[in-house]
Amino acid sequence: MAIYSVYVSSRDDAEARHWLAFFRRHGYKDLKGLVIERVYWLEGNLWPERLSPLLANPVYQTTSSQSMLDPSQGPILEIAYRHAVTDPETPSILEAARALGEDGLVFARLSRRYQFCGVTRQNALRIAERFLFNKVVERIREPHELVSTLRPAGEPDPVTTVSLAGMCDQELQALSAARSWYAPLSQMRVIQAHERQIGRPHTDAEIEILAQTWSDHCYHTTWKSLGLLKKLSEATARIAHPLVVSAFKDNAGGIEFYEDWVITIKGETHNFPSSIAPFGGVATKHGGVIRDTLGFGKGAYPIGGTTIMGTLDPAMPENQVPEGALPPQLILSESIRATAYYMNPMGIPMMHAIYRRHPGYAKCLALGHSLGLIPRKYALKDPPQPGDLLLLIGGETGRDGIHGATASSASMTEETLAKESAAVQIGHPITERRFTTAIPALRDQGCIRSITDLGAGGISCGAGEMGAETGVALNLDAVPLKDRSLTAWEILLSESQERMLIAVPAEKLDEAEKLLDRYEVGHAAIGRFTDSHRLEATWRGQKVVDLEMSFLWSACPIDSIPMAEPERKLAPLRIPEAKTAADWSEAVRRVLGHFHCADQSAAGSRFDSTVQGRTIVGPYGGKNHRMPSGFYLSAPLRGRNYGVITTVAFNPLYGEIDPAGMARLMMIEAITKAVVAGADYRELALCDNFYTPRVRPEVAWNLTRMVEAVAGFSEEIGMPFISGKDSSSGTFDSAGVSIEVPPTLAVMAFGRMPDVRRAVTRDFKKPGNKLLLVGRTDSHALGGSVYADTCGQRGERLFDPGDGGNIRRLWDTLLWVHREEGYVSASAIAEGGAFLRLFEAAYGSGLGARVELDSVTEGGRIRKDEILFGEFIGSVLLEVPPPALSLIEEEFIGRVPYEVMGEVTREPRITLAQGGKAIWEEEVSGLAEVWSKPFREALE
Amino acid sequence: MSRAITAILYAPGTNCHEETAAALERAGLQNELALLGDLLKGEIRLKSYQALVIPGGFSYGDHLGAGRIFATLLGARLRDQLTEFLDSGKPVLGICNGFQVLAEAGILPYRRLGERAMALLANQSARFEDRCVRLLVSQQECLWTRDLAGQILEMPSAHGEGRPLFCDSVSGASPRIVLKYSDENGAPTLHYPENPNGAPDAVAGITDETGLVLGLMPHPERASLPVHESEDGLKLFKNLARWLLA
Repeated sequence: MAIYSVYVSSRDDAEARHWLAFFRRHGYKDLKGLVIERVYWLEGNLWPERLSPLLANPVYQTTSSQSMLDPSQGPILEIAYRHAVTDPETPSILEAARALGEDGLVFARLSRRYQFCGVTRQNALRIAERFLFNKVVERIREPHELVSTLRPAGEPDPVTTVSLAGMCDQELQALSAARSWYAPLSQMRVIQAHERQIGRPHTDAEIEILAQTWSDHCYHTTWKSLGLLKKLSEATARIAHPLVVSAFKDNAGGIEFYEDWVITIKGETHNFPSSIAPFGGVATKHGGVIRDTLGFGKGAYPIGGTTIMGTLDPAMPENQVPEGALPPQLILSESIRATAYYMNPMGIPMMHAIYRRHPGYAKCLALGHSLGLIPRKYALKDPPQPGDLLLLIGGETGRDGIHGATASSASMTEETLAKESAAVQIGHPITERRFTTAIPALRDQGCIRSITDLGAGGISCGAGEMGAETGVALNLDAVPLKDRSLTAWEILLSESQERMLIAVPAEKLDEAEKLLDRYEVGHAAIGRFTDSHRLEATWRGQKVVDLEMSFLWSACPIDSIPMAEPERKLAPLRIPEAKTAADWSEAVRRVLGHFHCADQSAAGSRFDSTVQGRTIVGPYGGKNHRMPSGFYLSAPLRGRNYGVITTVAFNPLYGEIDPAGMARLMMIEAITKAVVAGADYRELALCDNFYTPRVRPEVAWNLTRMVEAVAGFSEEIGMPFISGKDSSSGTFDSAGVSIEVPPTLAVMAFGRMPDVRRAVTRDFKKPGNKLLLVGRTDSHALGGSVYADTCGQRGERLFDPGDGGNIRRLWDTLLWVHREEGYVSASAIAEGGAFLRLFEAAYGSGLGARVELDSVTEGGRIRKDEILFGEFIGSVLLEVPPPALSLIEEEFIGRVPYEVMGEVTREPRITLAQGGKAIWEEEVSGLAEVWSKPFREALE
Repeated sequence: MSRAITAILYAPGTNCHEETAAALERAGLQNELALLGDLLKGEIRLKSYQALVIPGGFSYGDHLGAGRIFATLLGARLRDQLTEFLDSGKPVLGICNGFQVLAEAGILPYRRLGERAMALLANQSARFEDRCVRLLVSQQECLWTRDLAGQILEMPSAHGEGRPLFCDSVSGASPRIVLKYSDENGAPTLHYPENPNGAPDAVAGITDETGLVLGLMPHPERASLPVHESEDGLKLFKNLARWLLA
């Protein structure tokens, strides 16, 4: 059949301008120009001209049957999808062409031609391979390449058997590595013994399934071996919190909201793929955690998301980047582009966008949360019944993401980048958006007995888990493929995004399929639940998988992990105290300009924070909507004032000093941020995300102490963890050295508030109001602080916030004062100390603040710079109208320590005074300059 | 509630239809979520509605160009229904992606179905911009902004392609500007980010010669409920209610 090509060029191309600037920033200074031309390849009997209205808007685009690029202007590269792969845009083109009456069009493809002016073809290739395409699914199209058809073609490899019989330990290990199974010797031995027991060699599909099901990523072998998940879930069980609906057993955790609704939370890390391919990795991080919400109970609806990244210092010169790692600046900017690319089309408001750095994050932290809403009656799954159908919905299955689970469980080396690029997945938000609309409809029609997302492990994991109690028989020929060359084990393991599995009662299948057609969601019944207690799969007439569920789910050997207390190389802080006005100016600039304190809205403003119309307090607030709010508040039920509040604490500078102490501080920080806003801590729950290096005795020791600390403290304060995720692979091996992530825990606090109108924001409200610093300041608080980091120091101990009783007393007191409307603005102390809070509140209000240092330094017992920059986690800054002061003081005296540290001023200026006279002052506008530059510059 | 029913026309990838329905309800308007697919299959018809709102989102994933596939389906498969709807003088509102659809369909700026005379290009920053904007309402006659001339409306704006480009070849005609991005003093501005996409002449919203059709990039439905930071967006929907009830 005839194949036509239509070339489309734009006369105003912001994307080309963006890439040109981007490449020049990334070391291709001699690149003078970049032109992008789209090429539509059309197969069939048709008049291509008749499709022009579809392919171009004449107001700014022109079409032609030949390329409009002049080869003499520079090398041209055409990037297309691989022949075996279907373009994401193909179905859209076909549908629209039919609408235009062009029924002769049988297939279409889209490729992009980039012309690079001023660089050699080699450099153009380097740029393209690094930034413009993904080898797994895309390729560079040769000029004048002739094809007989555009339709996907390709032949799968046959299924083979793999016998481990007679292999010695070294051979087993070598095979495991060669096949990218990353299975430890103990698992290889069990598989070898199983082969003897069943009297036949396993198929490649079976071994792939075992290696992957037993990987740390899916089976959490490290955590199981250390008994950590048990510690957390048992603490939660003992707390027996009345609001908890579902904890640690579903794809997310859920608590009671109001009026028979439940709110859900899940946090998911996607560190490995994000380190080797930040755009694909971060996009699929969001896609994956959103599916955890859709896969809660019988299908919850996503109403909020976060993106939280930890990288090396983006200011790091490229020649200092560890061999095999991508430049942190690239990871940062690509991760931001990816979050916008995925979250905005999903129509899910951004709640928190947080970027941190640490020299240990050579393998970056890529965390995302998803907040969900679901009617109470659908919050718990029903067990699938024999005879139920297994319905696969969403996108087609491709080669993307093969070995994602096993690879992400392994530590990362400089070869990983090249070797495991297939583990990187490609996200298509439109596909996920389609079933995000359809799933609540399916649920409400009773078509969903149980539902789960396909993430790491693909169909084999999803079906294996759903059918663990019954058995399941898969027909792999029924799986819709975007890549015809996939063989059986690849179909089973593929981690192609945007797919979900639903257990549908047989009598409901018809109704379910009609609904999915209406919302234009792809679907296929790929199997049936059985009573065989086996995982079975057939492909092309062969039985390719036949494993007992009991073996799959209980035969995995758990290697015991020795523990040893690490020796911490810590030194006491030696920071000269700020004294002169010049000292203060310098110190303030260092802190406001620090990556963790600086204005990050250059990233945050690229994510939709108001879609769904539920947002009450978004990530940024105040006069010009650039003041970090410190919490997110949503009113999920339309026409009601009930609120969901979320806060996050993530600070990578504390862990190396004291992992357990850091873990408690993260809990206290997250909770206090919600409490000062007006939330009752008794109506909050927690979500944990741990990130630690590849396990060795010292890492096991740290991890265990962290988990014991949070489990213990959560019982102490009666607030349960209901969901979370652990990643124990934060090690990057480069040129013989191992770079380990610091002991990391990000804590999200989330819960309900009866009335969003009672929430208190942090921007100052009225000149003359008093500023109170509430909470203990009697322990040193510069250890691990941003202030110390700006002096290149860490310190030897963290702030001691006191025990649970102290902290609860502070929270109770704040709640009482909030009920009495005793304060009008408030914020919790964290990175950057009280000073950062004073600045933000002033910046967000157009007002200023005057601080009387004598009143807070207890006659010089505490350093002035420590009071202002110390990270007194759990302490808060309150703005109190003078009339309310006496009331508050009565309440505070003898219960919680506090100091009146100053007052709000009309002049937009921050003043530090001593003995009644100013020792330092500066205009807020000047400080804002310092604060708003560094992050934006890190992106450029 | 008015008995006149407003259709909220949505397609795969649309993601602002629910809050748009909530805003219409608040304005006292009965409304229905109408799926484009149902309209194409003939299961519903445009004539049963008295007004049409195309909400925001990323219909069909913005494939081939924001709003283009939605617009192609409208123009090619629903031409008669749409022409009849417009000719019978019924109001139309396009918000964000909905505005992109109206522009790609030729309904804006000149009410010529199938004849595109404008485009909404990628923001000058080449980035998605999530901002709260101030909109100055012009004197231009438009149903949706009746009695609002000279007012400043505050509402969220969130899009990646919102920079209007008008084709100059259409003789004698010029776009009718209803809303302009303005600074804190209420003056139209080209300054970023008050003008989030670099729109020439600060154009944020336009109408047609009948004043019945409005297309705007910002999101009035996100400023329509008592809990929202601003309720200015509700004024547009209240104007529709007033018109339908009159």
